[in-house]
Amino acid sequence: MSYLTHLECSGCGQRFDVHVIQTFCPACQAPLVALYDLISARQQLDRDEFRTRVAGMWRWRELLPVLDPLHILYLGEGDTPLLPVPRLGSKLGLSSLYVKDESLNPTGTFKARGLSAAISKAKELGVKRVIIPTAGNAGGAMAAYAARGGLQAHIFMPKDTPLANIEESRIAGATVILIDGLISEAAGMAGEKARREGWFDVSTFKEPYRAEGKKTMAYELAEAFGWKLPDVIVYPTGGGTGLVAMWKAFAEMDALGWLEEQARPRMVAVQADGCAPVVKAFDAGQPFCDFWTNAHTAASGLRVPKSFADQLILKALNESHGTAIAVSDDEILAAQQQLAYLEGIFAAPEGAATLAGLIKLVESKWIKPHEKIVLFNTGTGLKYLHQDCH
Amino acid sequence: MPYKVLYIEDNPDNMQLVQRAMEAKGYKFLAAATGLEGLKVAEEQRPNVILLDINLPDIDGYEVARRLRDTSVGGMLYVPIIAITANALKGDAEKALEAGCDLYMSKPINIRELWLRVQAFLPKVD
Repeated sequence: MSYLTHLECSGCGQRFDVHVIQTFCPACQAPLVALYDLISARQQLDRDEFRTRVAGMWRWRELLPVLDPLHILYLGEGDTPLLPVPRLGSKLGLSSLYVKDESLNPTGTFKARGLSAAISKAKELGVKRVIIPTAGNAGGAMAAYAARGGLQAHIFMPKDTPLANIEESRIAGATVILIDGLISEAAGMAGEKARREGWFDVSTFKEPYRAEGKKTMAYELAEAFGWKLPDVIVYPTGGGTGLVAMWKAFAEMDALGWLEEQARPRMVAVQADGCAPVVKAFDAGQPFCDFWTNAHTAASGLRVPKSFADQLILKALNESHGTAIAVSDDEILAAQQQLAYLEGIFAAPEGAATLAGLIKLVESKWIKPHEKIVLFNTGTGLKYLHQDCH
Repeated sequence: MPYKVLYIEDNPDNMQLVQRAMEAKGYKFLAAATGLEGLKVAEEQRPNVILLDINLPDIDGYEVARRLRDTSVGGMLYVPIIAITANALKGDAEKALEAGCDLYMSKPINIRELWLRVQAFLPKVD
């Protein structure tokens, strides 16, 4: 059983019922956050028992939003490898460097976790038609889970989205509309169609449950490290769901009494210098991002001119004493080669961006040689083979 | 004398939401449902900040911004304009800024952010 109790507006704190479809707060238009009865969960759940369950992110189901397990749409998501990368670490002078390799998820990216949770929950609540704007990978993942659940799927994506994303969505039965614009324009179109025709909009943070799927990355990480969290997490940040979700998960683990040590990681958001609204806002000490005009980068997942959850991203960075850093496309491609050459990991450009960011943070001594660091590779490089950069 | 905020927007739901938000902060709220009406209200009422939808039924928001910035329409050259759009067309943000808007926000409008954005354009009161 899930310990989910209610949703709460991240802006005004208003409570919302989890037994009906919710999007974002109608009063202040901020994202909703799923909350659980962690007091009961603390009394009744044994963290070590989770390890004995069938692998996958749904082994954390008590802390996920689906109330009836019969509604879970499972394709094998979660429990991705946490790989030590000693050759790369040695090159950078780091003694404890890891890559959490999300490319082994269904559809080849971390988006599977969020969409598995969101589409499962949507199905549980009776949703029949789902719509999403995407930079690419979320569309592919949504199409797969919608197919699995028998839901109709409609996807808006930029026309220069990697071919793999377009094809994987179409083969799963989704209607794909390619637009002359970025994810921000796709979001406008998806929102309009959703309002006009009654589709359920699964945009980042415009529904509350994608973040819940993503938070399982943090549970896996904590478990793998013996419930002692790493010092630094380096995360590619477009919409920022994973970063916000992991920060939320660390607080949950604390409330559950599962952590061996209280210290939480410093969260690092890595963006491309052609689209770095979070970096700009973080450096300026702003609580929200300005819309980034003329956004461009080969890392399509990072082409997000302004995240709907920008305030939550910046809050997590500030609370964790983390930072935000921008890297160039050339640095991303060089990092992608290094990851493959030294460690055999063919990372997506977004994942490779974390290594590019790490290199800068080591050079600036923001990261110390002995610290335990986790880079998130959010997807497989195989999905980007048709891009000009290759 | 409260600061005046004009919202030029044809969607009644958005209008109502923003009206509540602005009045909650003590601003005098002025509404216009078309571009031309917005220009008229702006000239007559001299708002301190203008919130401007782009997709309007008569002239679009870019044209409204351009006319507001026209030096022949006295006094509106420097009034802060925040473009607020559903962002469904390529380059909305860039075009809005080129037309003379000071800032671009996409819908759905986060009200806390809107409060802070409007406040930032207003003179500080001791």
